Amino acid sequence: MQPVIELDDLNVRFGEREILKSLRIALSGRIIGLLGPNGAGKSTLIHTLLGFCPASSGTAKILGHDIRAEADKVRTLVGYMPENDALIADMTAVSFVRMMGELSGLTEEAALERAHEVLFYVGLGEARYRQLGTYSLGMRQLAKLAQAIVHGPRLLILDEPTNGLDPAARTRMIKLIHDMKDSGEMHLLLCSHLLRDVEETCEDVLILKQGRIVHYANLESERRTNKRFVEIQTHGDDAGFAEALTAIGCECSAAGNGRFKAVLPEEFELREIYRVAAGRDLQLRRLNYRRDTLEDIFMKAMEV
Amino acid sequence: MAVHKHTYKDYTGPRTPAWSRFLVLARFGFARVYHLKFLFLFSIGCLFYPLVCAAYIYLSHNPSFLALFSIPADRLPHVDGRFFYFYSIVQGALAYLLTAFVGPVLVTPDFANGAMPLYFSRPFSRAEYVAGRISVLLILLSLITWIPGLVLFAIQSSIEGWDWMTGNLWLASAIVSGLFVWIVVLSLIGLALSAWVRWKIGAGALVLGVIFAGAGFGAAINSLMRTNYGALIDLTQVAHTIWSYLFRYDTGTEMSLTSAWIVLVVTCVICLWLLAKRIRPFEVIK
Amino acid sequence: MTDSANITLDNVSRFYGEVLGVNRVTLSIPPGITSLVGPNGSGKITLMNLMTGLVRPTYGEIRIRGIAPSEPQKLFHLVGYSTQFDSFPKGLTGFQFIQSFLRFFGYSSATSLELAGRAIAQVGLTEAADRKIAAYSKGMRQRIKLAQAIAHDPQVLVLDEPLNGLDPLIRAETIALFRRWADEGRHVVVSSHVLHEVDLISDRVILLTGGYVVAEGQIHGVRTEIQEHPMEVLIRCDQPGALASRVFEQEHVVSAQILPDGSGLLVQTRDADRFYRQLNHLALDNIQIESVAPADDNVNSVYQYLIGGEEVSK
Repeated sequence: MQPVIELDDLNVRFGEREILKSLRIALSGRIIGLLGPNGAGKSTLIHTLLGFCPASSGTAKILGHDIRAEADKVRTLVGYMPENDALIADMTAVSFVRMMGELSGLTEEAALERAHEVLFYVGLGEARYRQLGTYSLGMRQLAKLAQAIVHGPRLLILDEPTNGLDPAARTRMIKLIHDMKDSGEMHLLLCSHLLRDVEETCEDVLILKQGRIVHYANLESERRTNKRFVEIQTHGDDAGFAEALTAIGCECSAAGNGRFKAVLPEEFELREIYRVAAGRDLQLRRLNYRRDTLEDIFMKAMEV
Repeated sequence: MAVHKHTYKDYTGPRTPAWSRFLVLARFGFARVYHLKFLFLFSIGCLFYPLVCAAYIYLSHNPSFLALFSIPADRLPHVDGRFFYFYSIVQGALAYLLTAFVGPVLVTPDFANGAMPLYFSRPFSRAEYVAGRISVLLILLSLITWIPGLVLFAIQSSIEGWDWMTGNLWLASAIVSGLFVWIVVLSLIGLALSAWVRWKIGAGALVLGVIFAGAGFGAAINSLMRTNYGALIDLTQVAHTIWSYLFRYDTGTEMSLTSAWIVLVVTCVICLWLLAKRIRPFEVIK
Repeated sequence: MTDSANITLDNVSRFYGEVLGVNRVTLSIPPGITSLVGPNGSGKITLMNLMTGLVRPTYGEIRIRGIAPSEPQKLFHLVGYSTQFDSFPKGLTGFQFIQSFLRFFGYSSATSLELAGRAIAQVGLTEAADRKIAAYSKGMRQRIKLAQAIAHDPQVLVLDEPLNGLDPLIRAETIALFRRWADEGRHVVVSSHVLHEVDLISDRVILLTGGYVVAEGQIHGVRTEIQEHPMEVLIRCDQPGALASRVFEQEHVVSAQILPDGSGLLVQTRDADRFYRQLNHLALDNIQIESVAPADDNVNSVYQYLIGGEEVSK
């Protein structure tokens, strides 16, 4: 399968400062998360892929097209939802998305149809006839998403799509991301600081630090190898619980407020934990394998 | 019964040719401008003087009308270089006002809320952006400057006859070139300044200010330093110099034609430089 | 618990002309980390402005640790506020920004230099302190705002979305900072949209919508009070059908839904305590339980029940 993004010894610098250093990787998959601390070069990477800033050396390809030699072709294939506010305040959502569609090459009629289609898809109803300047933050994000997908891109780049959204709007955005991923029509590159959002949606993650790649992993396979770690939430008198678990072979530590973490030995049956709990009449309100896989991966990558 | 599930669908239709994309921007630019009733009416109002001129041309050749008011035909000003020189001054000034209104409306909204990355993440270049916006200004300003001017020339020609026309073709080309150069300079100034100021009113004021300030400072420099070089930063003087040459009407200016052209070229270069600096897909702050 | 150690609001309403900010709010907030949760326009900012004395109540009374907003001298020394607004005086470096505002508090030049340095170190911006704020990234601007709020060592901190734009490392560090301050006995009032974080870090939660407080207290306490919704528990096991029939033997179980992929069971019960006790025994029988988790005992679900997923746009 053709990789979505290929970087070959990519270097980017601003004046004296080297921002991206010798990046070399082939990314494929339906949805890729791009993570890293501030200053790691995520925005610069995105800007370079879009052609906003030139690479000082090395090459990059998106869906097989070189970003320098075929810059225009790349830009027809890519949709971009920037992090910052990006709109034209005195245009209505329909005009705005329509114009953006036409600038990407759609005919006048197709652009109008598509604009309404994507605005319906993202959930902007009657509001689409109001000016963008009157929109709330959640609606602006949706309008930004609409303009990014109006021309049917093959790669959608989302930069902090859920930033600042209230819970209802965030749920809506995550649902849209899932739906677009499942539609099979495009690949997504999701750049976000909210690890939870990345974990809920992404299949692969690429972690940058100080301009270099420090980790690239497939989340599903990472999760499968994590089956020896469990988290437990108790309710009731939990005195001595950790010790009791340690006595049956787990490494157990208390995290306060009734929370416990345990590392299970090989060939361990979970019902042994229940036996201990039953013996103490202790409720186990939560017992599951560690969910914070991505946080673990991220923190470990930062230590490199 | 069929249930239609609305999921994301791809676009697989035809694409328009790449060269025509800047026209999209022009179309939307026009729509933006003409949504404002004031601008619409103002631009109609700019045709008032050409209408008066047309009436004058017609009536000055109409013997019965002249006889009615006992106006001797040969005392009336002729329709010649001098006539069009004054026409250019009036319409040139109106064009300047129109630019101050239209430039900001066209350009400032694109910068005010960070829409630049959205333009340039598409197969669209900075040159196409400028072409798209400037074409609106050029068309509008043309409609109130050299196009009515040519119409006036045509009216005069149709009354005076073929010989007059062939003898005065230089006048027609002067109208076109003189006014076209002026509106190009105005458009560039309008775009460049509107790109740098966030608020439409501020941008408009700046455009107006640039030329008034130029006139004011120019006059001040001239009187203080007792030279004539001050006139070089007064764009109106520069334009008048060029027009007086083109229309063969000597107004006795002391500016040389070469200096005038140089000033215009330098102004255009500065404006293009300003535009190049400002029109970026993202801002870099050191 | 004496109320003078708390932030108390007694039937407080705030109107802006006709527009409602908050209506009839009565709260008593003890020290610790309290999260304010609610959609935009629900009154969170009004509440924060009321707590910091920037806005007076139209009706009702507020006391912040016993001090009324009518005593601004005392109040502003006590309270530190980090707002959502992202604008700063032009041309200042990070250090100058903090230090100049400290001078307003009456500290001498030397003390303000020291306090500014300390605050900046706490948020990890010492290296960038001498650069102009205009050149800061979003995350750095967020942190300099935080530094400004804590520089004068206030006992009450009110922070509007303080983690917005911060990368995961700094998020974790800042959360640890909040925990430290809370453990020192301060009030840390944080407004946030990231509900699972609210779950993890808060001692208490206040849910707002439309200008009204719809719930407040500890999450679990709040959840058990919502009677109309029986508690939901998600159990992953290998024989959901068998587990379902065993579970139905208990009369407090309202429903048991086998998950669409057959990997488990979603149980609704009116008595969570009894259910969990019995689960211990069920687990020891032949059914392999892989995991158990409360499906709705978190802020997210409480939010859904009380505030709902409102239409983003009509």
